[in-house]
Amino acid sequence: MRRWAYFGIAIALVAAAPWLIATPYWRGILVLCAMNVLLALGLNLVIGYTGQLNLGQSAFFAIGAYATTILVKTYHWNFWLAAGAAVIGAGVLGLALAAFAVRLRGHYLAIASLGFAVITYQVLVNWESVTEGVRGIYGILPPVPSTVGLYYLIAGIALIVYWLMDNLVRSPVGDTLRAIREDEVSAASLGVKSALWKAFAFSVGAGVAALAGVFYPGFVGTLVPDAFNIIESFTMMAMVIVGGMGTMIGPVIGAVVLTFLPELLRGFGELRLMVYGLALTLVVLFMPGGIVQLAKRK
Amino acid sequence: MLSANNVSKSFGGVRAVRNVSLTVPQNTIYALIGPNGAGKSTMLNLLSGVYQPDAGELAFTGQSLLGLAAYARVRLGIARTFQKIRLFKQLSLIENVMAGFHIHQDTPFWKHLLVGDTGRFRDEARELLEFVGLGARADHRAGALPYGQQRMLEIARALATRPKLFMLDEPAAGLNPAEVDFLLNRLVDISKRGVTLLVVEHNMDLVMNVASRVFVLDHGEPLFEGTPREVQAHPAVVEAYLGGEFAAESAA
Amino acid sequence: MSDLAALIAQQSINGVYLGCLYVMVALGLTLIYGVLNQINFAHADFVTVGAFTAFFAATRLGTKMLGLPDAAGYLLSLFFALGIGALLGLAINAAVFAPLRERGDELRPLIATIGVSVLLENAQLALFGPIPYQFDSPFARETIRFGRIFFTGQSVLVVVVSALAIGALYAFMRFSFWGKALRAVAQDRETAGLMGINPGLLIGLTIVIASALAGMAGALLGPVIVLTPFAGASVVVKAFAIVIIGGFGNVQGTIIAGILVGIIEAFTVQYLGSGLIDLVVFVLLLAMLVVRPTGLIAERKEENV
Repeated sequence: MRRWAYFGIAIALVAAAPWLIATPYWRGILVLCAMNVLLALGLNLVIGYTGQLNLGQSAFFAIGAYATTILVKTYHWNFWLAAGAAVIGAGVLGLALAAFAVRLRGHYLAIASLGFAVITYQVLVNWESVTEGVRGIYGILPPVPSTVGLYYLIAGIALIVYWLMDNLVRSPVGDTLRAIREDEVSAASLGVKSALWKAFAFSVGAGVAALAGVFYPGFVGTLVPDAFNIIESFTMMAMVIVGGMGTMIGPVIGAVVLTFLPELLRGFGELRLMVYGLALTLVVLFMPGGIVQLAKRK
Repeated sequence: MLSANNVSKSFGGVRAVRNVSLTVPQNTIYALIGPNGAGKSTMLNLLSGVYQPDAGELAFTGQSLLGLAAYARVRLGIARTFQKIRLFKQLSLIENVMAGFHIHQDTPFWKHLLVGDTGRFRDEARELLEFVGLGARADHRAGALPYGQQRMLEIARALATRPKLFMLDEPAAGLNPAEVDFLLNRLVDISKRGVTLLVVEHNMDLVMNVASRVFVLDHGEPLFEGTPREVQAHPAVVEAYLGGEFAAESAA
Repeated sequence: MSDLAALIAQQSINGVYLGCLYVMVALGLTLIYGVLNQINFAHADFVTVGAFTAFFAATRLGTKMLGLPDAAGYLLSLFFALGIGALLGLAINAAVFAPLRERGDELRPLIATIGVSVLLENAQLALFGPIPYQFDSPFARETIRFGRIFFTGQSVLVVVVSALAIGALYAFMRFSFWGKALRAVAQDRETAGLMGINPGLLIGLTIVIASALAGMAGALLGPVIVLTPFAGASVVVKAFAIVIIGGFGNVQGTIIAGILVGIIEAFTVQYLGSGLIDLVVFVLLLAMLVVRPTGLIAERKEENV
């Protein structure tokens, strides 16, 4: 019953936010925040619950953005159909990355996933006939004309994804994923087919990242590969870890904090971007459980 | 129930196990002993699927185990514990045991997605924790338990798979005498419930008091197989252990 | 000399030159892995910092303030880059690796180095901006001609410096006490500790050497790459590819792999254009990880120089 109360509060907050933050600029930041929450949730399923060090999420974010935009602009698909195809496509590609995860562990997987992200970025830059490369694609319209509308759309999707994921991790599926995270060998001795569940986690994580990507080009208006550089993977990781890896609310907190903090620090000029790196390093060194850990101690 | 036929396994140039054949009859407590480095753990790893043999056959209730991965053998009814305790340290005790019910989860996926925790198996998990004496600590973090209790938790978790054959790798190692007694007690209880036990052990108390048959390995090769009494008296076995514990036992 | 032969020779030389640069970067990574079983994700950013340090040392300090001729200014900048690299190594060891070493946690230090990497990149972005800097090395203007084959003074400098560095490293590890101690720690940290070697000191020393190499590599790379704060990103995965192919911790393997990657790049540029080089290398990397994660030359792991 308490869960319903929390959800109610969350929905109320999400609904009220654009009215508490009334300037167009900050409403735009809200949209960005909602996208970051989705990205963090997707990554958290793979890193936090299944324990797989995945640095390739920027690739799926990019696929969501590019696939949707290209299908709509070049092939005149309906936006929602394109989005669906992009998300499913990303999910399938997530399986490819999972195949690496089955064979590799720890830092090898980190490097492989990073390589995957870089390859995707290079394909976007070089396959100019399809993606326009660094020239970029312009004049992209969002599925919903107003910023507030876009915010409600993405935040609503994020809420639904959160609810579904929360259910999943509380269910035996969550037990299985965490067993793989804690000790794969003894998980196998309990009958867990880790390859299967890794495939599940990676493809869902990829799909959720793509889901965020779907709305990105419409929000910004233009689409260039540089928005999907590998540093995005690192930024996502910072959000998950600073918030609290392996919990559900942690990534949300991390996404909110790391979206708003750089904005609040605008007075410091470009140095404000150091927030990501600083936060991540300090948290890992001194507070590995993230902000959630801080709250628990009280 | 479980049979190995001329099984061999090498690592690099080292022959860990060579031409070992054994049969574990149903409803027994079967002990696998031998001096350090004899290949006992390797044998257990071969039986549970962590390694595949280089040669020979393995079968369980008539079904061949060759090529079958470790996770697949669990559905056949084989469970095990590890020499170096492998618990889910960050999870609570009850979460550890709940994970053990993995192969019995038959709730459809959409229910997991839309409903989440159905609380199924929670009662049975608590019972298992009570059985190993950890009922009061169900929500404690597994990593915080003292060693002896971690071992018992591992056993509870493995029992959640509802095995027909339960293999334990040196369960008594690192346990104090009171804990060993309790362990013996629990093992006998498990056996009475119809589970066949295969125990790799160094601790002779356990072996002599509880096992119905004993298999002795030395340097990866079979040395002798028989009842505890027979093994105790066999000169080659005594020699393999260089006197030590055995000589003291047979003198007693 | 036939056209084809000249072409092949030219690209091979270019490849060796590039390869030496990559080896310098990758060596640091493999050294750190050898003693610590850790990957420093910020390593490539050390290279970038080295490049920027060298740029400012050569242009502002060397030529403007001290009035040195360009060549001397550039050579001076190499030393500055070396020094800055060493300092960065000291810092990251003290802040990240040393405090987390006892815990035995493999992944926390890795993630911490990711944090440092992001920090360094954004710091440089704030200080230097995103527009590429034009780093001209005076040696690059000198071309030497050998029949139909050209090389620049820069490539000679690079090969000479890297050969010296590698030679010095080799001699150090083979013949000096500290060098042998380093190999001991790489093989078995606990026992080395029992033998009276202070592993913490050794590891710190290794990281400093590795980072100094990275810094100097940056100074040499500066004129060749697009110098932005994100230059490290393009080098890092290539460096990883080299270390993986050569085998983590395997110095000889890394050297061979580095030269190999350099040659592959040289030939690929010729036929496919620069955009696709990265793609080719990274696809190779992934293929490598699938087929043989321990590296092509893994057997030599015991013989770590």
